[in-house]
This record gives sequence, structure tokens and C-alpha cells, in this order.
Amino acid sequence: MGLFWIPLLPLLGTVVPLLSSRFGRSFLALFTAIPPLLALLLLLQLAPSVFNGEVIYQSFDWIPLAGLSLTFRLDGLALLFALLILGIGLLVILYARYYLSAKDNMGLFYAYLILFMTAMLGIVLSGNLIQLWLFWELTSISSFLLISFWSHKSEARKGARMALTITGAGGLALLAGLLLVGKIVGSFDLSVVLASGDLLRQHAAYPVVLVLVLLGAFTKSAQFPFHFWLPHAMAAPTPVSAYLHSATMVKAGIFLMARFYPVLAGTELWFLIVSMTGLITLLLGAYVALFKHDLKGLLAYSTISHLGLITLLLGMNTQLSTVAAVFHIINHAIFKASLFMAAGIIDHESGTRDMRRLNGLWKYMPHTATLAMVAAASMAGVPLLNGFLSKEMFFAETLDQVTLGSLSWMVPVLATLGAVFSVAYSARFIHDVFFNGEPVDLPKTPHEPPRYMKVPVEILVALCLLLGIFPGVIVGPLLALASTSVLGGELPYYSLSIWHGFNLPLLMSFLAMLGGLIIYHNRRHLFRFQSQFPEPDAKLIFEWLVQRLVRLCSAIIDKLENGSLQRYVFLLLLAALVLMAGPMIDLNATLGHQSSMPVDTVSLIGALLLAAGAIATVILNRRRLVSLLTLSVVGLIVSLAFARFSAPDLALTQLSVEVVTMILLLLALFFLPQSTPKESNPRRLVRDLSLAGLIGGVIGTINYAMITRPLDSISGFFLENSKTGGGGTNVVNVILVDFRGMDTFGEVAVLGIAALGIFKLIVHMRLYMPSTDGNGLPWSPDRHPMMLAIVSQSLLPLALLVSVYIFLRGHNQPGGGFIAGLITSVAIIQQYIAHGVDWIKERLRINYQWMVASGLLIAGLTGIGSWFFGRPFLTSWFDYFSLPWVGKFELASAMVFDLGVYLTVVGATLLILANLGKLTTSHSPAAKENN
Amino acid sequence: MTLVALPIFIPLLCGALSLLAWRSSLVQRLIGLVGTLALLVVSVMLLLAVREEGHIVMHMGSWQAPFGITLVADLLSAIMVLLTGMMAVAVAIYSLATTSESYERFGYFPLLHLLLAGVAGSFLTGDIFNLYVWFEVMLVASFALLILGGERSQMEGAIKYVTLNLLSSAIFLSAIGLLYGLVGTLNMADIAVKLAQAEHTGMVDVIAVMFMVAFGIKAGAFPLFFWLPASYHTPPVAVSALFAGLLTKVGVYALFRVFTLIFNHTPEFTHQLLLWGAAFTMLTGVLGAAAQFEFRRILSFHIISQIGYMLMGLALFTPLALIGGVFYITHHIIVKTNLFLVSGVAHRLLGSYDLKKLGGLYKERPFLAILFLIPALSLAGLPPLSGFFAKFIIIRAGIEAEAWVVTGVALLVGLLTLYSMIKIWAEAFWKAVPEGVSTERLTGREKDPQLVWMYLPIVLLAACTLLIGLYGQPVYELAEASAAQLMNPSGYIEAVLGTSVSGGAE
Repeated sequence: MGLFWIPLLPLLGTVVPLLSSRFGRSFLALFTAIPPLLALLLLLQLAPSVFNGEVIYQSFDWIPLAGLSLTFRLDGLALLFALLILGIGLLVILYARYYLSAKDNMGLFYAYLILFMTAMLGIVLSGNLIQLWLFWELTSISSFLLISFWSHKSEARKGARMALTITGAGGLALLAGLLLVGKIVGSFDLSVVLASGDLLRQHAAYPVVLVLVLLGAFTKSAQFPFHFWLPHAMAAPTPVSAYLHSATMVKAGIFLMARFYPVLAGTELWFLIVSMTGLITLLLGAYVALFKHDLKGLLAYSTISHLGLITLLLGMNTQLSTVAAVFHIINHAIFKASLFMAAGIIDHESGTRDMRRLNGLWKYMPHTATLAMVAAASMAGVPLLNGFLSKEMFFAETLDQVTLGSLSWMVPVLATLGAVFSVAYSARFIHDVFFNGEPVDLPKTPHEPPRYMKVPVEILVALCLLLGIFPGVIVGPLLALASTSVLGGELPYYSLSIWHGFNLPLLMSFLAMLGGLIIYHNRRHLFRFQSQFPEPDAKLIFEWLVQRLVRLCSAIIDKLENGSLQRYVFLLLLAALVLMAGPMIDLNATLGHQSSMPVDTVSLIGALLLAAGAIATVILNRRRLVSLLTLSVVGLIVSLAFARFSAPDLALTQLSVEVVTMILLLLALFFLPQSTPKESNPRRLVRDLSLAGLIGGVIGTINYAMITRPLDSISGFFLENSKTGGGGTNVVNVILVDFRGMDTFGEVAVLGIAALGIFKLIVHMRLYMPSTDGNGLPWSPDRHPMMLAIVSQSLLPLALLVSVYIFLRGHNQPGGGFIAGLITSVAIIQQYIAHGVDWIKERLRINYQWMVASGLLIAGLTGIGSWFFGRPFLTSWFDYFSLPWVGKFELASAMVFDLGVYLTVVGATLLILANLGKLTTSHSPAAKENN
Repeated sequence: MTLVALPIFIPLLCGALSLLAWRSSLVQRLIGLVGTLALLVVSVMLLLAVREEGHIVMHMGSWQAPFGITLVADLLSAIMVLLTGMMAVAVAIYSLATTSESYERFGYFPLLHLLLAGVAGSFLTGDIFNLYVWFEVMLVASFALLILGGERSQMEGAIKYVTLNLLSSAIFLSAIGLLYGLVGTLNMADIAVKLAQAEHTGMVDVIAVMFMVAFGIKAGAFPLFFWLPASYHTPPVAVSALFAGLLTKVGVYALFRVFTLIFNHTPEFTHQLLLWGAAFTMLTGVLGAAAQFEFRRILSFHIISQIGYMLMGLALFTPLALIGGVFYITHHIIVKTNLFLVSGVAHRLLGSYDLKKLGGLYKERPFLAILFLIPALSLAGLPPLSGFFAKFIIIRAGIEAEAWVVTGVALLVGLLTLYSMIKIWAEAFWKAVPEGVSTERLTGREKDPQLVWMYLPIVLLAACTLLIGLYGQPVYELAEASAAQLMNPSGYIEAVLGTSVSGGAE
């Protein structure tokens, strides 16, 4: 069976607990354990070939284009970790069966746990850097879910968030580091990378790579100054702590350092960063652990301290220290997992973890106490237990290193100091909990836990003893194998025996024991001393930092985004100006070489009027009616300009649009105050004026530069092909309905949509008719003057006739559907004005929405019609016919399209204007009469 | 060939038909479903066809480019259209449950269709002025959808929305005018040819910047994004979701199109400018999100920051970066729409979008919690979800291009995004239901029969996210092919103008 089954089995196993909840808790645990058990068996079956020096390798394409493959790789280091992950994982499954209460959703818990197991196996078995990172992040997520399993507890939520934030940040640094490695080496394949040690170490970016990778490792393995998340992760259920926070997840960082040891270690920088971080963490963790009253808090800091120890060993850059590190990884996983489990039993059976209340438990649970005491003794480094052996090796190594020059003596001294505290807190764990008088005010009367809850602890403690007494037999080969793959080749000589004779390391051990017991004995003085310092709560500091960050963000965002539209427009235009000004400055030759047209009086007067109208609109903007009039001057001049420069179609369109717009604005102004209050202060006025001036200047300059250059455009084609290809002599109309019919179609849709939107806006509006006009004069009582009614009524047929005429001639003469539609609308609006809404409603029963829709449909279907002839959309057809009396005439499909345009324009315009007009009726229209 | 026009005309005609059926809710809903499904089917066919042929071109009215309007589908267009189709279906289904009667009466479904037509038109047109037209269709339709509820906050948001977007339109139109003045043509492929031959004065850069500003406003880039957080949280959630997924991406698409096809001569200026814009966009967006406490406001600010990643892909202007950009757009549209849809379910259950008034969803609705986590963690770029690859490719491109600052920003923003998502998770899902909030709908055992219409699209989109995360190869392949087309626009130009590039000019 393939290697990939080892992570795959647990992955598939995540659904097992979710599906088997109904079989009861024991069977649930049993079923859950099957996939990891199978994976473990598989691993054991593969182990012999690894011991023979093989590296098992299996690779699948994943996204080969991006250089991503799923590669699994089993070497000694991976084997060691996989054994720990699966072995301890199985024990934790058994333990959790008894730990979790009936209230807890056990299936979900197991699912998360197995997911985490998959992620860890994925990390250690990855043969590809990116895949490794992927599983790395997966451990962050699954541990987030596990820590927050009791999500009703605030500290669980906060602890989980903190852990995720810190490890997530480290993860991103790691990703950057791994990508850099990939860039330097040219591959993400681990085997290739491991063979490129010299290349990496000599590369200029080596320090960056190192720092980034180590950031990932340190955050995960709770190294100073990132250690603070780990104690808060203790809010997790204890099986999680036993699994994640002692044996596996926190070791992922260590694993990473070990994995990259062959390529990143061996430099002075590595030594400085790694060993110093390890040393500080070791001391800090050991010291703080002593003062924790919470059982799990003590264990958490002790874990930090031991992780620091392993880091320090890895940082020392010698082969023996590396072997010691690997050895301690094994030992620490075993004794710390059993200690956490014991702590969980104590918590479970007595209801508290507070060591000030937990005293004298020996009487109540002697069996558990014995197990816990052996494990704690191993943690303290008592001889005949596994912790002692790796600690001896550690001491020996601290004596050997010389990189710090004349200060090198400090390392063994500080290491001994760390060990002193380690003994002291271990002593506290044993003495405070199991002896030291009677328990104080416990929620429950403590007793031994269920039989099988102790089994995992018993197995682990037995291992502590076996490893401690027969190290060579039990762990020798595995240690050698794993160390070989960390060192990447030759293994140094070392001896795993218990007795090395009287030497300095033994003396250090002895001193540590003695010092630790003395400190513990005098702990009250030390506690008193320590109580003078405020106890920093990382959670509070973290939350405070986060709050600060959020406040900072708010401050920045409030500066930018304060809800004021004026501010937004200002910033937006300012940005546009700044961005455009750059290249404008480079543009030194503004004036092109196109000769300009002669200036005649008419154009000059028009231009002056245009400018005057625009300026007057701005100046008079607070008097609305007046500025509306000046605005119409602008529109008028524009349409005259169109006429002047041979675009009669545009002139007509502009003119009719102008008329409709004016009616619309006048209708709106009827309900609005006649003047605007003064809203700007002088400073703002200057600011806005300058900005507007500058923008105008820039746009003007570019325009000037543009029109003074010769233009070679496609317009000639339109002039040539309008008649022959489009069947019309009015080029503008042919452009609108044929050459660029798609644009027209889109714009007509815009008009229709706008009408719908405006209709919605006004149909529910209930506005009171102003009783007087702006000057306080009452309205004329004659709302529909007779003269106007009669004249407009008689004008209607004429106006409609004109619009039909304009429509029909559109293809060859100025006109077309758009203009005709506007003329029709104006004619009908006039009837509204003259007769009132109610009068029209009886006579003109048109559903304007329907009209808009059918217009769109006609235009669209005409276009699509050409598909049936196998031509692209909107391909036009025209031909000439002749009839008696009428003579020769032309029919073109474009006219049907134009009809659609016409209908939409009429529908849309009237939908807006008629509904706006309705507001003026004395009795407001009810919602249901809206059509 | 017809395929390239169908994604525009199906929604347009559905819009018109739906408008004809003004009074029948049933018919409107039916057209809504059938129309969007048809759009999806057609867009799948289009993508398959484009993958086969490279480019599909249709000259409207049989007028050869550059004289008529040309519709062009290259891979980027086809991918965008496919995403449009997917979001359309998702939102149409969701709308069945969330659309109130008053919305239907005032043209919710017709407007939805017309909006989609505008979006599809923008993706498929090969003509710069026609692009403007579709932008207008989109703008007006989205404005109408924004104000459909008639609430005060919606009006306020909509006014900012429309004012700032009209500014964008004005700049866009001026830029088109100036560009026409320079090259005398509107067809984008033709512009590219003419511009390559034109003398390179600063004029081209000025126009390029104008396009950048106009599209940057649409895309919600720094410092032009203000309309977005002002308006996106106000309309009904289905509308928000559609806007969030698609509208800003039209701006991004336009930037991708214009700055690979037309303005690709002075990347040391234009793309450098974009790169800075990308960095600031990422940063301001995510900082803004950190300051928010409203579900949809947080998501809105994240749109901005994510836009930054896409722009970074364009700005780095290497093949890998463009792959990342295209991948990112694809991932983002799916994920962001889905997050908005989830927020709608939370709102339906607890009656609020305010995180302070939400809670208890993890306990009561674990399935919804998972459905939130998938897009949320994907947005933060965690594996094995679509966002991981998107971010991975972009960051890798940044490192390969040695653009350290922007890559660092991209990494940092990833972390802050995670923080934001966890904030929503902690408040809306973990926290117990705050006092004073009615839990009737949350814990009520009576089934809400419409909820299934809300869940269905969420599940489908989450499945997409997961699928891309686990097996990203097909998407990567598409993105790679698309990036190859973008890096070498001559294929596009030849397909449109029907001649080889050198002979294309007259």
C-alpha cells in the first residue's frame, strides 16, 4: 500500500465520527480510532525499509503547471514524527472518550481532532514545500477549531483567536520564506531543496529566508517573544492540550527547523538567532511556570521552556546537540502528554485545576498520583527516567560550544539555572497537588477516574521508564535514524547509557536537583517577591493591541471616508488631477501643427455666450429657477454649435432633449424650495474653485493639444458607405441604427431602465403642493387655462404628424426614432399640462412600462432577426419598392429597429414625466393606480 | 459566432419580457430562473468554444472592424461571462426567497436581467465606446436596484453611488474622446495597432491615466473607492451579493483589457502607478474593514482590499502575475458573492447585519457555520480553498518580480483579512445571542420553507470554492492560457481585424 494512505486514511476518517454518533460514545471512539490505527500499521509496515536507509517517495501531479505536486516523502525524521502523531493520537482518542461529557458534541470533537492529525501527518510527510505549507495552515485552522471547542467560554474564544492570529502571521512569513527558497533553488521539491544547502547559505537573500522561515517555526513552537499564545490555548479541552500543545503542533516548528537543518543551519546567524531565542525561551518558561497556580498553566509554561531547550539544542550547530534535540523531542512528547492527561484527570475528578486548592490528592487517587509523579520526575530530569538522559546530553553540549567566545561559559550556567526552575516546578506539581495537606473547598470529592481513562497515561509512563532504563534498546535505532536524516548524512558517536561516570553534566544535574528543591522549599519568599510585579496578562495586552489597531484603522478610515459626498468628490478629483498632472508636465509641446480654422463672429459670440451661460449657472446656482434658465442657454448654444458644424441630427436631438429636460426640471422645482441656502464657507469655496479650475485647465490643455493635431479617422468610411451599405443618406442616422446600432440599443436600454428607476422613486412619493410660489404669491386658481387646453388639443395631431414625418425621413434626412420619440412625448406632455392628469388618464390608456418593454423587444428582435439569415446581429436589410401614387420608396430593417427606439423613448419619457406630473394632482395617487 | 452575442441578448430580452409581465410575479420569477440558467448554459458553451478557437469575434451589422462594433470573446472575457452566468443563477435562486412583493412590483427582475446584460456587454465588447454604453446600462440598472427599496439609507447610498460613478463616466467619456482624437478609431484592437505606430508623446500617458482613473473608480481602487462602502450595504442582500461579485470586477476587467491591449508601451510608468495603487488599495480596504462592525460593511471593505490583489496581478505585468490576477478574479467573485449570501441568511434568522446584534449561529446552525467558514477562510487565503491558490500565485509572482514592498503588503493584508473573518465568526457565530434579540426564527423548529432557496446557491458556491481549492488545475490552466493571450495581444488584434498585425494598419 502506498505512502499516501497514511495521511489519506485519517482524512477520510474525519467523516467517521460525524457519521457514527448514533452508536454511542464507546463505539464512536472505537470507530474513530480505526483509520489512524490502520495508518499506524501501514507506517510500521513501511518502517523497515526506512531503517534500511531508504527514503520512500511518492508523488502525484496536482497543479503541475504551477509546479505543485502532491509529494509524500518518508525518511527517518518523518517516521519519528509520524509515529508520535499517530501513537499519541490514538491514546488521546481513548482518553477523550472518558474526558468529554455527554453534553459535548463528541463526533464533532473527534472530527476536528482527526482533521488535525491529518494536517500534522501532512506536514511531516510532505515532500514539497508548498504542500508542507498547506498542511501547516491546516493545523492552524484545526487547532483553532479545537481550542475553541467550548465556544461558549470567552477565554476559549479569545485563546483560539490569539493562537490563530499568531500562528497565522508566522504562517505567512513562512510562505514568503518558502517561496523565496523556491525562487533561489528553482524547485519546491524537498529533495532538491535539501540538496541545495550551499546554494542557499551563500545566497544574498539567505538572512531573509532564514528569518522568514524561523518566524514560522518560532510562532508555531511558542518561542519567545511569540510564546504567549500557548498558555491561553489551555482553554481547550485537555485532550487537545495533551495532543496539540505537548506532543504535536508545537513540535511542528521544531520539525521545521529540523527539516531545514541541512540547508539553513551551520551559519553564525543561525546560531545567534536560534540558540539565543531558545535560551531565553527556556529560562523564561521555566521561571514563569513556577508561579502558575493553574495546573495546565504550569504545564504550558513548562512546555514553552522545553521547546526552548530543543530550539537551543538545534541552534548550537553541532552534530551531538542535534542528536540530543531529536532525543528530547521524543522524551518531551511522552512525558508531557502523560502529564497533561494526568492534569486532565485531576481536573475532571476534582473540578478544579487550581493548585492552591488541590492538595493531598494522594489519598484520593493514589494510582493516578503515582503515574503523574513518575512523569513529573521525568520532566525534572530524575535519573532512570527518559527526561534525565536527554537533559544530560543537553548539559554536555552546552559545555562544548564556543561560538560566544569568552562569554561561552554563560550558556551552561544559564542552562543549569533553567534546569533548577524545571526541578522546582516539577516538585511543585508533585508536592502541591498530591501532598501538602488537605484539599481546599473542592467542587467535587476527588476519586480515581474510570479504568480506561488511565490506560493512555499508563502506557506513556511505562515508556518513560523503559526509555529511561533501556534507552539503547528501545529508542536507539529510531533516534539514530531520525538524527541521520536531520543531519543529512553521517552520525556522530554518542552513547545512550545511563551512567557516564562522574562528570560535569552529572554535577550540573545534581546542582539542578538540589537548587530546585531549595527553591521549592523557599517558594513562599519567591512568590511574595514575584507578587510585587504586576502580572502581565497576554490576553489583555493582545486584546488591547488589537483594539489599538482597530482604533487606528478607524481614525485613518474616518479621515478618508467620513460619509460626506463633497469630501469624496474632492478626493476623487484631486486624485485624478495629481495622477494626470505627472505625464502632463512631461508633455511640453502643447500646440500641434494643424492649422486652425478662421474665427468668425458667429462662432465667437456663440462661444462667449456658452462660457457666460456656464459661469452664470455656477454663480447663480443658489437661485434655482434662474440658474435653470442660464443652464438652458448652455444647452441651446450646444445645439446651435451642432447645427453650425454640420450635424443637424445632433442639433435636433439636443434641442428636444433640452426641452424634455427643462420640463422635467421645472416639474421637480415646483416641489423644491426656490433657492438653496448657503452651504459653503469661503475657505472651501477657494479650495473647490481652485480644484475645479485646475481640472478644467488640464482637460482644456489636452483638448487643445488634441485638436491642433491632424486626425486620421474612420469617419470617411461612414460617409462613403452610408448610402450604399446602410441605405440612407443621413450618415448620422445610419451610424445610429446601423453602423453602431449596438450603442443605440444599449443607450435605449439605459433610458428604459432610468425611467423604471425614476418611476419607482416618485410613485410612492406624497408631496403637498406648495401653496404659493417662491415669492409668496398664490397660484392662479385657473389650473388648466381654457386657451392652453384648446390650442394644445388642436396642436396634438399636428405634433404627432410631425413626429411621424421626422421618424420616416430619418434614414435620409435629419430625424429618426429618437427625435420623433421625444417630439411625441413633448406633445403628450403638453396635453397633461393643459388638461391635467385625470383628464388624460381617461383618454390615453397606455401602460408605459409595457411600451418601454415592447420597444426594447422590437429593437432586440429586429437585430436577432438577422441571425435567421445567418448574418451577425443587427445586420440590416433594405430595398426599394414602388407603389402607385406613392412612387418609389425604401424599406429597411433598420426602420423597425428605429421603431423600437421610438417606442422606448416615448414610453420612458412619459413614464417619468407623467408620473412626476401626477404629483401635482390635488388628490395624491394611490399606489395601486400607478399605471 | 452567435454564441458571443447571446450572453448579452438573453438577459436583455429576458429583461424586456419580464417587463411585459409586469404584474405576474410567477412569470417574472420563471423568466428569472430560466433566463439566468440559459445565460449560464450559453456562457459555458462560449468558454468551451473560446478554449477551442482562441477568439470568437462577431462584427455587428456585418460591418467589418474597425468600422462597426465588434464583439470579441477571448479567454478572459469568456471566463468573466461564465462567472456572470454562475452568479446570475445563484442570485436568481436566492431571490426567490428574499424578494419582497414590492420589489417585484417595481421591476426587480427586469432590472436584474438588464444589469446582467450590461455586465456581459462590458465583458464582450471590443469597442471602447460600446464599453462606455454597457457601463451606462450597468450603472443605471444598479442605481435603480439600489433605490428600489426606497429606504432613507438606500437613497443616501445611492446618491453617492451615482454621483461618483457619473464622475467616472464623465472621465471615461472624455478619455474616449481624446483617444479618438489621437487615433481616429474606436475599435480596441485597431486602437492598439494605431497607438503602436503613433509617436509616443506624454499625451498617451495622460489618456492612459484618465482611463486608469475612470476604471479605477469602477473597480473601487484607492483612492477612488468611496462610493462602494457608502452603498453596498444598503440594498437587499441578493442585490448586494450580485454587486459585490460582479460590478467592481467589471472595472478590474476593463483595466486588464485596456492595460494589456492598448496601453502596454510604457509599463514603467502606467503599471508602476497601478502597482502603488494596488498596494494602497489592499491596505486601505483591509484597514477599513477592521474598523467596521456591520457584516456587509466589513465585506464591502474587503472587496476593496481584494481588488488590490487583482490590480497587483495586472501591475506586475508578468505572465505569472496575470495568471494570478485572473485566478484571483475568478476566486473572488465566487467567494465574495457567497459571503454576502451567507450574511443574508444570518439576517433572515436574526434580523440584523450588525455584529453586535448577531450571535449563536454556530450552536444553532452548524451547517451554516461551515458554509460561512469555507468562503471566509478562502477569502483569507487559507488552504485548501480557492483563495489559497489565488494568493499563492500572486505572492509568488511578487517575489519572482522582486517587488518586495507590495508583496509584503499582500502578505500582511492576508493576515488582517483573516482577522476580519474571525471577527465575524466570533461575533455572529460563536457569541451567544445578545439579549433583546428575538431568536424565534433562529431556534424556532417550524421550518422556513424558503430557506432552502437561500441555502442552495450558498452550498453550490461553497462547493466551487472547495473544488477549486482541492483541484485547481483546470482553473489554473484557463488562467494560464488567458494570461498568455493577454501578454501577447497580437492574437486578439488579428482575430478582430482579420489581418496580421503588421498589415493591419492602413
